[in-house]
Amino acid sequence: MLSMAIYSQSIVNSKHNLSVSGPGDIKATSESEICIFCHTPHQSSPRKPLWNRQDPGSVYEIYNTSTTDASAGQPDGSSVLCLSCHDGTIALGDVLSRAQPIEFSGGISVMPPGTSNLTTNLSDDHPISFIYNSSLAASDGELVDPSALSAPVKLENQKMQCTSCHEPHDDTFGMFLVATRSNSELCLFCHQKNGWSLTQHNLSNATWNGSGNDPWFHTPYTTVAENACENCHTPHNAGQDSRLTNYQAEENNCLDCHNGNVAASDVQAEFAKIYRHRVYSYTLVHDPVEDALVQTRHVECVDCHNPHYSNSSSSFSPQASGALAGVRGVNSAGNSISIVQNEYELCYRCHADSPDKPGSPTTRQIAQNNVRLEFDPANPSFHPVESAGRNSNVPSLISPLSESSTIYCSDCHASDNTNISGPHGSVYPHILKFNYETGTRVSESFQSYRLCYECHDRNAIINRNDDFGQNVHRKHIVEEDIPCNQCHDPHGISSSQGTEANNTHLINFNTQIVQSTSGGLEFVDDGIFAGRCYLRCHGKNHNPESYN
Amino acid sequence: MLKKVLYFSILAVFILGVNLFGQNIVGSAHDFSSDSWNTTGQICIVCHTTHNADVSVNDAPLWNHETTASSFTPYTSSTLDATAGQPDASSKLCLSCHDGTIAVDNFNGKTSGTHFLTGNPNVGTDLNDDHPVSITYDAALASADGGLYNPTTTNSGLGGTISEDLLIGNQVQCASCHDVHNGSGIDKLLRKSNNASALCLTCHDK
Repeated sequence: MLSMAIYSQSIVNSKHNLSVSGPGDIKATSESEICIFCHTPHQSSPRKPLWNRQDPGSVYEIYNTSTTDASAGQPDGSSVLCLSCHDGTIALGDVLSRAQPIEFSGGISVMPPGTSNLTTNLSDDHPISFIYNSSLAASDGELVDPSALSAPVKLENQKMQCTSCHEPHDDTFGMFLVATRSNSELCLFCHQKNGWSLTQHNLSNATWNGSGNDPWFHTPYTTVAENACENCHTPHNAGQDSRLTNYQAEENNCLDCHNGNVAASDVQAEFAKIYRHRVYSYTLVHDPVEDALVQTRHVECVDCHNPHYSNSSSSFSPQASGALAGVRGVNSAGNSISIVQNEYELCYRCHADSPDKPGSPTTRQIAQNNVRLEFDPANPSFHPVESAGRNSNVPSLISPLSESSTIYCSDCHASDNTNISGPHGSVYPHILKFNYETGTRVSESFQSYRLCYECHDRNAIINRNDDFGQNVHRKHIVEEDIPCNQCHDPHGISSSQGTEANNTHLINFNTQIVQSTSGGLEFVDDGIFAGRCYLRCHGKNHNPESYN
Repeated sequence: MLKKVLYFSILAVFILGVNLFGQNIVGSAHDFSSDSWNTTGQICIVCHTTHNADVSVNDAPLWNHETTASSFTPYTSSTLDATAGQPDASSKLCLSCHDGTIAVDNFNGKTSGTHFLTGNPNVGTDLNDDHPVSITYDAALASADGGLYNPTTTNSGLGGTISEDLLIGNQVQCASCHDVHNGSGIDKLLRKSNNASALCLTCHDK
């Protein structure tokens, strides 16, 4: 009784007491000694720490990933000792100091399959037996310098080993860990992720509502903050080897929470819509070390969000919001940047200079699907994404918008559910936030062009008694059922292709509808609310038609 | 009846100290009186003499066996806070048979013996695979290690503290775990039963 009291946090009351008195399911039938399963006072091998088991001699498949700067070889040092049980190759009772293996109850010989049996495939386990020194910390950039590594995490001859995280004699924190996993305290001794202190994944006290998959199936914790790293990662037997994430399909690591069951926004519902960023269509294509400028087309949640960094801070255009904090991008000059300042820089990863970028939905007089070139402030006209627009006289703008405003890509490209931010999915084509009809002939209504009318006052567009309103816009879109998209190119016209004379006001004709006449196909800007058009549309010749 | 036995056993611990269960060397693994190489037929003489004893080893108890001159490789480990040097004091006497370099029958002045220990009892001169001996184990070591009990305040289970019952001059020696005279009657001449690793866990706070 006395010894039980003394050893309340000791190996005696832990699963590592494999003797007949052990508390676990895996234990000997009659062997009473506890230490013997690992240690012997004489003739030990390996000698330190007076080891009493064979070297498994296994050849291990080791952890290997593009993001590890460390070079992990075959397990060595004390890790081999741990693996002499935990790789499942040697009988648990096979100790050097006994002529016959110690018998285990239930006929157990080697470690039964399960979370404790890592097998000889360590590619889905946190790497071990690698040198963790200052140069590793420096090259990684998000690791604590080992000289600043505080107890209880210890290195063994400069190497990270099983014993850096585990103390096999003491199960105070569960899993024989040297510190608690709560709030990922243990992980954070070494891993210092940029942005982590402010991210919701570190701070949120959100809980799971009990529907769908248990997002925290491998921890005892019940809030996002408590689970911290383990919201997505697991150090052993990971679903996706190289990232040590719960699931191989990247998006599944996010959607167990971002489906309304933990996080308030149901992003999973967005990805069920017909128009969406197709996160389900790619697996193991995304690589965290890929160029900021995407070379091979794909999209994952982590292409746009940095789960170590994203936070709830709000922003004004063009600045990136907290949801996009810490992600890479391509700036207005076309250069890769490690952290975006502006939202459009994120979109430019794929929709600008990327060699595999999506094409344009509309065939135009001036073809361009590089949106960086379309939004260039040097262009003859552009929607004001990078900077305020060039047209100082836009009478339709609804306050507080003005000619000096800027807008986000996501002001137009976003969910049709206005409670959900960002272009995850929409019932409208091109992941547009509102309806935007582009057919051959469309009966005008608020709903037909609601996307435009959210910013450009419908009444001004079709009813203003001048050459802006009734004489031009009403004539075309109300009387002739011509959609905005046939004359206007909503992103902009590149300065390398368009001109100040012909491509102001986002004019770039849809050539499937608008064709040349004998005078050509051309808009000529004649000043404020004045211009001429040379074109043929639905059999009607403008050669030219003027307004002024 | 059982209670009475227990009572007297516990009483015996206090009165007789090491002689826990009334066991002794007679008939133990260290009783060589019937071995062919011991022509004296005596027990104590293999190690001890009443006169003209060898005093070359510190505190040697009336020593009568040739003493090892081996150079030993002591135990070292990155996790060992104590420093083990060459075995000394009584451990050196144990090793005078158990390092395998001195014949067990080299006693009482004889140096031409031919019976050497083999197998498990022979720990060799390489002690790197053996629990360290001749190390100082004091409160400071316990504090530095973190996995050892304070020997000056922790009960050994044998009546006194670890320091009092198991250490010799604050040092861990072979005799800390083993009672060469078989006072306890436990297998391997252990000083205390290792059931449930009780002997190991007397010092090791694991």
